[in-house]
Amino acid sequence: MAQVPVQTIHRDPQLFYWILFPITIVMILTGVLRHYASVLMASAPKRLEQKAMREQRRLIHGMNLRGNFHVLSQRSFATRRDALITAYESGTYLKDPERRGQAPPNPMSDPSSMEGMMGMMKNQMAMIIPNTLIMSWINAFFSGYVIMKLPFPLTIKFKSMLQAGVATKDMDPRWMSSISWYFLCIFGLQSVFNFLLGSDNAASQMAQQMGQMGPQAGQMFGPGVDPDKQFLAEAENLAVVEHHSVLDGVEQRLLEGIKV
Amino acid sequence: MAPSLLYPATQLPPASALALSQQAPAVLRSSPATVSSSPLSALFSAPEKPELWIKYENLILSCLRTGDDQAAHQCLERLVARFGNGNERVQALRGLVKEAEAQDDSALEEVLKEYEQILAENDTNIPIAKRRIALLRSMGRVSDAASALVQLLEFSPTDAEAWSELSDIYLSQGLYPQAIYAMEEVLLLAPNAWNIHARLGELQFMAATAPGVAGGSYQKYMAEAIKRFARSVELCDDYLRGYYGLKLVCKTLLSGGSNKTAKQTDDEFAIPDTRNTERLNELATAKLSEIVRHSTARDQGWRGYDEAEIAAARQLLSDDVAASSAIER
Repeated sequence: MAQVPVQTIHRDPQLFYWILFPITIVMILTGVLRHYASVLMASAPKRLEQKAMREQRRLIHGMNLRGNFHVLSQRSFATRRDALITAYESGTYLKDPERRGQAPPNPMSDPSSMEGMMGMMKNQMAMIIPNTLIMSWINAFFSGYVIMKLPFPLTIKFKSMLQAGVATKDMDPRWMSSISWYFLCIFGLQSVFNFLLGSDNAASQMAQQMGQMGPQAGQMFGPGVDPDKQFLAEAENLAVVEHHSVLDGVEQRLLEGIKV
Repeated sequence: MAPSLLYPATQLPPASALALSQQAPAVLRSSPATVSSSPLSALFSAPEKPELWIKYENLILSCLRTGDDQAAHQCLERLVARFGNGNERVQALRGLVKEAEAQDDSALEEVLKEYEQILAENDTNIPIAKRRIALLRSMGRVSDAASALVQLLEFSPTDAEAWSELSDIYLSQGLYPQAIYAMEEVLLLAPNAWNIHARLGELQFMAATAPGVAGGSYQKYMAEAIKRFARSVELCDDYLRGYYGLKLVCKTLLSGGSNKTAKQTDDEFAIPDTRNTERLNELATAKLSEIVRHSTARDQGWRGYDEAEIAAARQLLSDDVAASSAIER
């Protein structure tokens, strides 16, 4: 098998000090800055009014009863269920009972939900602006040449990733351009940030993107959800519970189970 | 288990509370007086840990208990420096310190007024609301405390601590059904808490043996008490209080077997028949004597029991022996 001749490109060793290091350092510093910027910009969690708190916790209370009904005796479960269903259906626990039956307010016009969206926007901005700036900085100054050779072989598919901005067909994919180094930094600095800032930092974009795609756990009481509907659904759930108690036959279990 | 500053010091014996509060100077010396939250210094110093703040909090409690007000103030200052005056927990701790330092009733009234002022500004400040209730109760205004608790639970019904306090208040007033109701709410929030199961059993037993209880509800309470105790030892094998209660209820049932004929309805628990009650009694007796024996011998793995509870169990067992020997004679 014929050896593929090793490509050698003579580079100025200064490239290493004047491009590779600056890009890396700038990336780390922006990560750190972004972390502290988002810490500073984070608004304190909003205080709930008593009525809103009551609405939420009363609903959780009902869910709790539905989940853990087995610790109660038949009679105490029945009294609780009747009371809760009556209250849920009459809307006693609603934040503003007179608005019952109307359509939920548009989340865009609701000031309280606007705040949450502003927070999201701020985070997005903190991510987008520095990225654009750095990318244009790299493009303006360092584009158009390779800066280093990776110490391991790669297949041809990596060419578009590693040699962005260098349109040379025959070059070995191991050669890498500055813009590619920038992309590698974006994805590879996570552990550095973990080391510098602790594990729950806001520096890494990856984590933020994951968070956006993640499940919408906080949406239970979010804007646009009609609490009255939730209460009615919960009342229905409670009504169909078939009661059994963990206390049924517990002595028998005990006498069979525990040997002294 | 050695007392640690990382766990809430709710029921420590005086000696270990004293030991904890004597650690105060060391803890205060070993940690920095202020933890800066500025980014630059945070980069170069060790990150702050939540444990430190828990330590301070527990240290305040122990120090107030042993009268070391100075150390308590220092801890409080550090918490204020970190979290600010507006923090709800810090406000409650500050109130606690003031309560502890109050010399007479008028000073306590002052603190109470402060609480009410804070609550007027922010009616969802739960730590302060709880402090106010505790203060009301310790000033002897129990019915005020109960109504304030009910008010708190009205908008926050998922608070196990508040429910159990309410249960305790009702119990102190002799309102057994209400106390049982509140305890059941705690159980709904913590369905596998064996101590709560046993506590509920105790409440049922107390309700059953209270003077002036009707025959039907006696049956109901006793049946559920047995089941609660049985459930608690099913959840936790060597739970002394559970076995103690189980034995007590079985013994009461076996000795006073006269009003056995009350008819059972479907939706209620039935008292187990005499044979099973005897077997449960034997089981509890055997287990109790095992616990007492091991604990008295200070065997490995049997040390966590409370002295007073062991003594009570021993008393119960020896009563039993005396009774049975009296019958034999």
